[in-house]
Amino acid sequence: MKNSKLFITTLRTEAIGFAIILLIWGVGTLIYPSHIIPSPIAVLTDAREYLPKDISHHVLLTAGRVLSGFALSISIGTLLGIGAYLQKWVPALNSLMSALQVLPGVILGVIFLLMFGLGSTVPILLITFLVLPTIAITTANGLAKKNTALEEYLKTVKSNKATIWKTIYLPALIPVLLSNFSLGVSMAAKVVVLGEFVGSQDGLGYLLNRAQITFNMKEVFFYLIILLVFTLLVQSLLAFFSSVFFKKYFYAE
Amino acid sequence: MSEVILTVNKLSKCFSGQMVIDRLSFTIHQGECLAIFAPAGAGKTTLIRILSGLDTQDSGQFELFDDFPVTMFQEHRLFPFMTVKDNIFLPLVAQDRKITPQIQQNYQEWIDVCELGAFQEKYPWQLSGGMKQKTALIRALLQQPKFALLDEPFQSIGVKAKQTLIQHIKNACPGISLLLITHNPDEVQQLAQCVLVFEQACLTQGRQITQSDFSKWNPTAVFPAAPIDSQNYSNHLPVVADDCSIK
Repeated sequence: MKNSKLFITTLRTEAIGFAIILLIWGVGTLIYPSHIIPSPIAVLTDAREYLPKDISHHVLLTAGRVLSGFALSISIGTLLGIGAYLQKWVPALNSLMSALQVLPGVILGVIFLLMFGLGSTVPILLITFLVLPTIAITTANGLAKKNTALEEYLKTVKSNKATIWKTIYLPALIPVLLSNFSLGVSMAAKVVVLGEFVGSQDGLGYLLNRAQITFNMKEVFFYLIILLVFTLLVQSLLAFFSSVFFKKYFYAE
Repeated sequence: MSEVILTVNKLSKCFSGQMVIDRLSFTIHQGECLAIFAPAGAGKTTLIRILSGLDTQDSGQFELFDDFPVTMFQEHRLFPFMTVKDNIFLPLVAQDRKITPQIQQNYQEWIDVCELGAFQEKYPWQLSGGMKQKTALIRALLQQPKFALLDEPFQSIGVKAKQTLIQHIKNACPGISLLLITHNPDEVQQLAQCVLVFEQACLTQGRQITQSDFSKWNPTAVFPAAPIDSQNYSNHLPVVADDCSIK
């Protein structure tokens, strides 16, 4: 009961964000003609005319790719960040990840397309490679902000390693992980469009690209709304789980 | 003479060319409490850090004859995401030691003495400064250690509560050896048998006095409020005693 209330509260927060975006969109329709920015109502009411019949298939495919790429980038990025911190390779990691970030997504997408062909691999790998650097860098730098005074205390009591991990490294990682989750899912939703445009013939990114070529702005806005709603939903879920499981780590100083 | 628990021999430490500990030597025997009374910035905390293995000396040696010495730092160093109870039992968990019924009983006694009964499930940010200090003190002394390094352990604790606590330390930890760092003469008089008094902002060959001489000196009359200024008290120190084990 308490948890469902909490989930509704987090969902409400995301809904407020969504409402603000709708408001800005509404204002935009007053300024620009409908062939540039169509009204939200027109986008929804005319959806039957322009949407493909298998839209749910595309939506599910994209959602799966976003979640897979996101999960891969979070897992590998976090492990890389932890490993680099423990091995004192943070400067080397920063350089390597910065180099990866410089690589244009389209070029990387084309390389993956040539390597793996059309399908889900290209968008998933693209998400992984473009989101991972940020995750790895923030993880390594977040660990550097561990509480050294408390770590010293544990050294004086000759603490076992498990306790040091649980009470020093994990609390330092949690705020970083949470911001990585939030940042990562938004980035993944953005990158999947590029990945599906370059290396796939299905998914929302593919449909979005097809719609923008023909300047079907109603369709473009519809897919953008789906991506936005999906991102906000995942954000709500993550915020809910972090409140339930990591609540004790959010304390007043 | 009881067995030696700590010997410090010509210990020196220098930071950026400034000597903070200079050839310091002293010995603490089992059951003895040695207080260090020195002005601020004299290297007391550095000494604690060296003795607890967090820092290394530039020269000299020390030998500590206890496998599990405890250190209570000047700051409480409580874990903010753990309750009072969890913080107190943390050293046991960290050392893979069992919480025996005897330890549970000791815990309850300490909680009663410190009047923390209603706060056992609270987090440090929900406590006053004195409560945090009491929690850190219980965490240090619950396991009845043989030796403890206490860096200003009673700061932020009221006079009456402090007296009760000191009495409880004597009852709950008989035979404990202490290295007590303090700015408060009352604490020296109530706990220590021997006092190392330093006149300068460096721990060097301090004046060694017994507790009774320290009482005669009555530093409270000269310095009613801590911290003590080295320029004020150097002229008022009593005669150096011979029977203290400070070399």
